[in-house]
Amino acid sequence: MPSVTYIEANGASHVIDVPIGENVMHGAVYNGIEGIIGECGGGLACATCHCYVDAAWTGRTGGPSSQDETDMLESTAAEVRPESRLSCQIVVTAELDGLIVHLPEKQF
Amino acid sequence: MRIDPANPVPPTGIVRRIGRDQVPDHVPPELVFEPGLTYGPEFLADPHKFMAEMHGKYPPVFYNVGPFGNMWSVIKHEDALFVLRHAELFSNEDATPFPRDPAEWFYFIPIEIDPPDHRKYRNIVDPIVSPQGVLKLEDRIRALANDLIDDFIDKGECTFDEAFGRPLPVLVFLDLMGLPRAMCDTFVSWAMALLHSNDRQIMGDTLKTIGDYLKTAIAEKQASPDDGLVSRIVHAEIDGQPISEREAFGFVTFLFIAGLDTVFATLNLIWVWLAQNPERRQEIIDNPDKINAVVEELLRVHSVTFSGRTVAQDVTLRGIQLKKGDKITSILPACNFDPGVFPNPTEVDFNRPKKIILAFTVGVHSCMGAHLARLEVKIALQEWLRRIPEFRMKHGFKAEYRPGGVVGPETVPLVWDVALIP
Repeated sequence: MPSVTYIEANGASHVIDVPIGENVMHGAVYNGIEGIIGECGGGLACATCHCYVDAAWTGRTGGPSSQDETDMLESTAAEVRPESRLSCQIVVTAELDGLIVHLPEKQF
Repeated sequence: MRIDPANPVPPTGIVRRIGRDQVPDHVPPELVFEPGLTYGPEFLADPHKFMAEMHGKYPPVFYNVGPFGNMWSVIKHEDALFVLRHAELFSNEDATPFPRDPAEWFYFIPIEIDPPDHRKYRNIVDPIVSPQGVLKLEDRIRALANDLIDDFIDKGECTFDEAFGRPLPVLVFLDLMGLPRAMCDTFVSWAMALLHSNDRQIMGDTLKTIGDYLKTAIAEKQASPDDGLVSRIVHAEIDGQPISEREAFGFVTFLFIAGLDTVFATLNLIWVWLAQNPERRQEIIDNPDKINAVVEELLRVHSVTFSGRTVAQDVTLRGIQLKKGDKITSILPACNFDPGVFPNPTEVDFNRPKKIILAFTVGVHSCMGAHLARLEVKIALQEWLRRIPEFRMKHGFKAEYRPGGVVGPETVPLVWDVALIP
């Protein structure tokens, strides 16, 4: 199973196995990582699963996957950067094994 | 107070204030209003117009007094986000005041459970109700919508609420729960008695009847598991221990209450709008790839409910002192008409940039059924407009809205020309 490393704003790091086909938001929420909230459950409706994809991985994750994701990123509480994504929209694949995401200080 | 979900006890120290005589001293008199929300004649004449116009008539935070209880009310989008996202300040304890037998108390789970326990329950059902999870139901919902339409399409008319708006979400809910479709009519009658009788005796008796049925269903699923939600809940573990009987019962009962009425009211509102706006109907038909934006915008302007909390500790909001024990409600439809967030708020515009809408609230208690509801509305629109693209309200129709916490028209009589069916 691919692993995803979540690095919280305070530097705490969590390595989580996330099944292929599951999204990066669920990988955090189901494993008690508090830096991602994902209150709407993955429907591009709340902007509380904001993450910064590590520079080494942005080529593989790509940018926002839809105009809706780009629009919703404007509703995040923390600063939006070029590597910002809503983690519910990053679906784990074999190619993303080892993915590193950094979590913002706040989600709302 | 943190409650123990496995050992439910009736809440204590709940203060209910009703009417102008029971306004607490810390409420400034200039913030006290009696708008008649959910019951007054002005509200009932056109509830969504009324709620949209609240932005000019009431302060952003005001104290709403009335016969069903006094409460702070917020109408600004950002204030609702704040209230709904701070469970430590605004608790869900006593947020769902359906009458229950004190000797056999149970919590409505997860809505009455605040963090951190709340997430443990959500994790049980979230995979089923996630956007990906509900897609597994798509074919069945589509077939169901068509079966319902088959029953009346050749008649040239139907009472939409009875023929489509009610049975579609109820049947989907039964499928999702793993309960027999034959229970549809019974569930409908229970839902009506529980949610629309406005009589606490009837509500209490009905909740008991529903509870007796659900206990039997729970026992059956314990003996023979399946892939429905009831079975998933009764076989779930909380902190490594099997879920307790009280927790499973409260969870399943809550899903019953939550799952039946809101989509019904939403569909009814949307179909009145569709019938009265033929050119917008055509716009939807002509832009099939925009269907998700259409659904979101229709949900924004046709939100049907409110979200109440109890203030858990003294806090100020926009400089106003709220005290522990006060009730506070986010008037979600009004928040969705906040002109600061949605310019020209009453205009239905399928090209708006995507923003957070409050149809399903936000925060930890954000509606679990939101993605199922979106899917149901989407499929209903697609299948209905494919098969009955031209329709109108029956001659002489004048919308009458039912009072109460779920806003919708009493009845939606539709007619169409059978010769124009594609």
